[in-house]
Amino acid sequence: MTTTLTSATPKSAADDLADVERVLAGEVRAFEGIVRRWQRPLVNMAWRYCRDRGRAEEMAQEAFIRAWRGLAQWRREGSFSTWLFALAANVYRSELKRFPTETLPLDEAPEPAGPASQQRELEEQRRCEALRRALLALPPRYREPVILYYFHEQDVAAAARNLGLPEGTLKARLSRARALLRQRFPQLEGGKDAMEVAAMERGKEVTD
Amino acid sequence: MKPAKTQQESAGSFRIDAEIDRVLATEEELIPSSGFMASVMERVQEESAVPPPIPFPWKRAIPGILLAAGVFGWGGFEFVRSGLPATLTLPHLSAGYEHSVESAGWVAMALGVSLVSWLLSRRLAGRGGLL
Repeated sequence: MTTTLTSATPKSAADDLADVERVLAGEVRAFEGIVRRWQRPLVNMAWRYCRDRGRAEEMAQEAFIRAWRGLAQWRREGSFSTWLFALAANVYRSELKRFPTETLPLDEAPEPAGPASQQRELEEQRRCEALRRALLALPPRYREPVILYYFHEQDVAAAARNLGLPEGTLKARLSRARALLRQRFPQLEGGKDAMEVAAMERGKEVTD
Repeated sequence: MKPAKTQQESAGSFRIDAEIDRVLATEEELIPSSGFMASVMERVQEESAVPPPIPFPWKRAIPGILLAAGVFGWGGFEFVRSGLPATLTLPHLSAGYEHSVESAGWVAMALGVSLVSWLLSRRLAGRGGLL
């Protein structure tokens, strides 16, 4: 699924280059091609940073505007997508520094009234969402590597490039982030029923 | 006994990591709203319509900067030459230091008057802004 999000095909790379050249030559409309190709990845990346749809679009829009302003700074030896993602990561990071995300309550979904299978599904969704939201509570130095690592389909090199970090540092931070998540979600260990895990989560929320 | 426990713990960690991988790698994909691209392009059009920022007028500013640097350099030199040792050892100001301070005050006032008259003339000429 994420392959289409982050991977630049040779054709899209050529299109990006052509559009950038046209924009730099003064053809403003050519930027539309860039927005069309990269709007989904940038919005999805922003979503992972804040988990708020409206805000994700605002942050992605800001990233596009910064890209527009700084298009001449893209060095052709690196891929356009790498430059764009690194720029977007910077924008998202500073936006969240200015206005940190609020931790939303997990009880957004209505109480399941359907059969047990539906309930199980809801609980599973709830558990996944709890984990994804727990990510936002990690310190930024651990949170960002995790976001970008999974955004780039678990590609350490791509995530490290976007953050401007050595791969070893990124691996170390990923490992630390996992350790923090393990502490928060020890019940994720296999073999437990989703309902049981979700119930444990609920209990934890009450006591936290 | 202990190694067995460690093995068990590491197996548990491995399973949790696998579960974290599974959950975070299967993130649902968000589709941008239909007006997203249009709003981005609208802002881009607005940006492109704004004239480029006026570059800093270095040619005009350099003489002023050099003059200010010269005045401050001269003031500093005079200060060190005539007054600094005395100020470090004596609680009262020496005559030379007082003279330097007085000179610097006159220079600062002259610069201030020049700046005010320059700003006033620009305002009267109908050219707002500093540059």
